[in-house]
Amino acid sequence: MRVGGVEPCGFRNLADSATELSDGITVFHGPNGAGKTNLLEAIYFGLVAHSCRGGRAGDMIRHGEDSGRVELNLEGAPGRVLLSSLDRGGERRHLLDGRPLSSALERPLVSVFLPERLQLVKGPPAHRRAHLDRLIAALWPARGDLHQRFGRALAQRNALVARVRGGHASSASLGAWDEELARAAEPLVKAREQAVEMLRAPFAGLAERLGVGSAEISYRSRVAADASAFAAELAERRTGDLGRGYTGHGPQLDEVALEREGRSLRRFGSQGQQRAALLALLLAERQALIDLGRPPPLMLLDDVMSELDAERRGLLCAALSDSGQALLTATDADQVPVRERAIAVANGRSTTLAVAA
Amino acid sequence: MQAGPISNLIAELSKLPGIGRRTAQRLAFHILRAEEGEALALADAIREVKEKVGLCEICFNLAEGPRCLICEDTRRDRSLICVVEEPADVIPIERTGEFGGVYHVLGGALSPIDGIDPEDLRITELLERVNGDVTEVVLATNHTTTGEATALHISEGLRDRVTVTRLASGLPVGADLEHTDEVTLGKALSGRRSLS
Repeated sequence: MRVGGVEPCGFRNLADSATELSDGITVFHGPNGAGKTNLLEAIYFGLVAHSCRGGRAGDMIRHGEDSGRVELNLEGAPGRVLLSSLDRGGERRHLLDGRPLSSALERPLVSVFLPERLQLVKGPPAHRRAHLDRLIAALWPARGDLHQRFGRALAQRNALVARVRGGHASSASLGAWDEELARAAEPLVKAREQAVEMLRAPFAGLAERLGVGSAEISYRSRVAADASAFAAELAERRTGDLGRGYTGHGPQLDEVALEREGRSLRRFGSQGQQRAALLALLLAERQALIDLGRPPPLMLLDDVMSELDAERRGLLCAALSDSGQALLTATDADQVPVRERAIAVANGRSTTLAVAA
Repeated sequence: MQAGPISNLIAELSKLPGIGRRTAQRLAFHILRAEEGEALALADAIREVKEKVGLCEICFNLAEGPRCLICEDTRRDRSLICVVEEPADVIPIERTGEFGGVYHVLGGALSPIDGIDPEDLRITELLERVNGDVTEVVLATNHTTTGEATALHISEGLRDRVTVTRLASGLPVGADLEHTDEVTLGKALSGRRSLS
């Protein structure tokens, strides 16, 4: 399944015109402010129906318009046209050939590198846990609900702990919620460990070659691996939980550590090291998917080349060109030495195709 | 705008689950056009159900009188109790024709977020019901977070007193693998059994 073309309408500063995409590496090149990143965002929005940049969703709609939409032409998929739209009232639609998407498996996976995504390396652990849990769903779709199941159990236990603390409920059912939480945690922790194990070698190799140095990704849950042992840990800490009014122990607090020479990249990495580590992480995830026989995600990489020297640019291209699709932005097409297609972008319009105004 | 009684009827009908304003309007006009006997039969049926149907004093299923038909039935096996969340859950299990025991209706599931604690459910009554004559309790609460926690809470209360079982989860019979969601199929795979 690949994205054969994108057609935004009323989306940011982009012209309402179609752009064709090819396999392998496509470069969007042009001066600053031309709309290259907006084009990447439009493709991401088309796939996911959310922005990849955060901020207010309504900002994606072009000034003066009531709604914005993006149509993607999918090839090799059961559906042909994937449409995402958003109006000023906040209503979203995400339709594959006119019917709502029933599962993320119906569309290509997508992986995105943007300056905002540096939070994954330098932000708090919650970002890395959520990201890892999404990767688990991509690697093993049958386990895609593990973090939701755990989240529901945690929310219920926290509600009970708070109510017991406030004197509104008895702690009679707390044991049952400890056990339900522990049963939900066990497969989640196991999946996280397996996913990080799959990332370990490719991450270390890619980080080294991209100039981070000796880097490592690791995950060791603070909780006992076995559900009944974790339930016992919760029971031991019950007084503390009742004192603070929420669950103070569990995989909801685990860290997915990214380290360089034994020191946290989050705290001690330079901006350049953090950027390269993020790129290595996204490429390692792509490799893990390929290793499991799953299709590689569409890679959307915004301005990755500017900080890489010629050797590392070549390395990145080599890593991306073996299979799948990658879309990169660059001020100058020559920053991307290996490419299937170069598309010049100016004034929100791709100029390789003749498009009516 | 409709006259007062008609808009009253529409307003009342649209409070029913699954009935929107338009459907309520269609139903109201159908009732208006219907023969008087037919329309009043509906009104009587509603009145009767509210006046006569209560909860069974043993299992808390719906009952006309102090006990439900299942608890009254002397052929049912009283050593086997199936625990469900709501009276509506009894119906599909009865339809299977595979269950010859009796029921216990909890009246919901534990959900601290909604303020539902063990005291709000008929759990104490269940624990009292389980005496020397009962050999097995089947926990048929829903396979959701709240249903699972409720089952865990009850099984803790019944520990060492009786055999406690839980309904299996897996593929629906007659279902195509192709149309089964990944999570259900994953659970069916991990719960697979040997054929020989």
